[in-house]
Amino acid sequence: MFGDEIAGFIESPVMQIIGSSNDARQPEIGRAVGAWMSAGSDTINLLTSAWQWPETVANLRENGKISVTFARPSDYVSYQLKGQATIRPAEPDEVERSSQYIVAIVSTQMRLGLLPELIMPVLSNRDPMLITMRVASVFVQTPGSRAGERIWSTTP
Amino acid sequence: MTPTPIRLTLADLEACFEGVIPSIISTADADGLPNISYLSHVAVVDDRHVALSNQFFAKTAANIRLNPHAMLLLVDARNSAQYRLELVFAHTLEAGPLFEHIALQLDASSAQVGMAGIMKLRNLDVFRVVSIEPIPSQVQTAEPQMPKRNRLAGAARIAETIAAEMDADGIIDAMLEGLRTEFGFEHCLLLQLYEERNQLITIGSMGYVPSGIGSDIPFDEGVIGAAAAGGRLVKLSDMSRIRRFGAAVRGSSADENRTRAIPLPGMPDAMSQIAVPLVAAGAVRGVLFLESRDRIAFTNDDEAALSMIARQAAMALALSEKLSLETEPQRSVPAQPPASEKTVQVVHHRFDDSVFIDGDYVIKGVAGRLLASMLEQHQQSGRLEFTNREIRLDAALKLPDFKDNLETRLLLLRRRLDEKRLPIRLTRLGRGRIGLFVEGQLRLSKDVV
Repeated sequence: MFGDEIAGFIESPVMQIIGSSNDARQPEIGRAVGAWMSAGSDTINLLTSAWQWPETVANLRENGKISVTFARPSDYVSYQLKGQATIRPAEPDEVERSSQYIVAIVSTQMRLGLLPELIMPVLSNRDPMLITMRVASVFVQTPGSRAGERIWSTTP
Repeated sequence: MTPTPIRLTLADLEACFEGVIPSIISTADADGLPNISYLSHVAVVDDRHVALSNQFFAKTAANIRLNPHAMLLLVDARNSAQYRLELVFAHTLEAGPLFEHIALQLDASSAQVGMAGIMKLRNLDVFRVVSIEPIPSQVQTAEPQMPKRNRLAGAARIAETIAAEMDADGIIDAMLEGLRTEFGFEHCLLLQLYEERNQLITIGSMGYVPSGIGSDIPFDEGVIGAAAAGGRLVKLSDMSRIRRFGAAVRGSSADENRTRAIPLPGMPDAMSQIAVPLVAAGAVRGVLFLESRDRIAFTNDDEAALSMIARQAAMALALSEKLSLETEPQRSVPAQPPASEKTVQVVHHRFDDSVFIDGDYVIKGVAGRLLASMLEQHQQSGRLEFTNREIRLDAALKLPDFKDNLETRLLLLRRRLDEKRLPIRLTRLGRGRIGLFVEGQLRLSKDVV
């Protein structure tokens, strides 16, 4: 288990970016709209839109290799989690959890001065898919001297 | 099925490259394990290449050397439309004009957040763009509300009015007025570089109260200083998170009297700033500075148009200095009896050549010395008229070796006296001729403290 601090962070209103790659090692980018821990394990759940990010969904089906960056908009505190994922269509309660996240991140961004019409275009849970990610390592990615430092890993 | 999108080019994505919304890159290592990095700067190199600056994240740099493929996510700062760009690593840049340009932008924005020198640009990775695709959005992205103005035609009209002017006054007014009427820019400063003080001094001002005429900033400070020192345009498009340089408002004349410094005017809530160097004959002569409360107020077209206008003004100002030596024939100046019996008290502090009129700080440095000299001659012989030529030849004035700025120093002095509504004024009597007006009985004293 990689710690309550990281768990609390990924469940707070932070921007969520998914990295994946296909078997030809072509990297891809997507966004997640909501993330939460599976109780008592090194596994997290993320929701993404197959409509907005079809290549990400295809890559995760193909090989499951995944990196996710969580970045707090107010101060750029960021962490990157790497690991292995599976993907399936999301259940209604999971979509509901994603919708709550969208409300929270829009509120957060508005408090920082962004207009809602400039936040909504990047957030979608249409054709919702649930990514279940077994985390293998956690890195600091806040800009600065510690950027890139590994702070947790399943292997020593 | 999503309809086939119109083929996009990098030129269509201009607002994505303003550095307002961070761009994101995904790379993968030799095993295909992905990595995500936020990028501080993405710049267009040409119509098929982009350059990325990656200050902190060594993993991206390592990955692209193992696997040259990358994916870039860009967001249009005006409407949040997203684009995915498939990239292939081409080469690394560590020098050259593009490198210098991005390094300067980075330095200027870092200095504004109190991190001068920390975000040092080490290298730029240049990538070839393989494809550009829009990401679908559930929300109809708003069309940017930008007035459609023809910048080329506007720049031509401003250049034409500048070219019709003979003197520094007319040139500066033609430029500032043109920027307001043709381009709709409301807040603008023109600063002249005075090398002997290593400072830029405001000689033209539009939209600010007080105008800040005579205010100065060090040669290498802030956005304006960066443009002068680098000889390149510097632009900030979203200052919402940037602590504004010189935010402390020191507007009162009482403060000026104490500090002997005129505050640089500025908008406390500016979102965009642009500083354009005035270059003539290969040398930076000054800086044209504009700011706006709008985000991304200045487009690539504005950059090009403002650069042309700044160069035209720089050339015209340099020429007006030369022409001001050809004094026009003498015209009779009516003798002015003092309009008032009131005493006008002038103090000239020799240590910094600052001049105070009736206790009000006016100006210091070369312009202060010029004013004190004219007033001294007036007190001794009643003179009311002076020529640029004699001022240049007057060894007692100890003008700097580079005498190119006399005309603008006189202009600065004239405007400063006008703005402060002082009982001593200068007027322009014709090319190369200056008239002095003293409303009262002059009492000049020199002070060494």
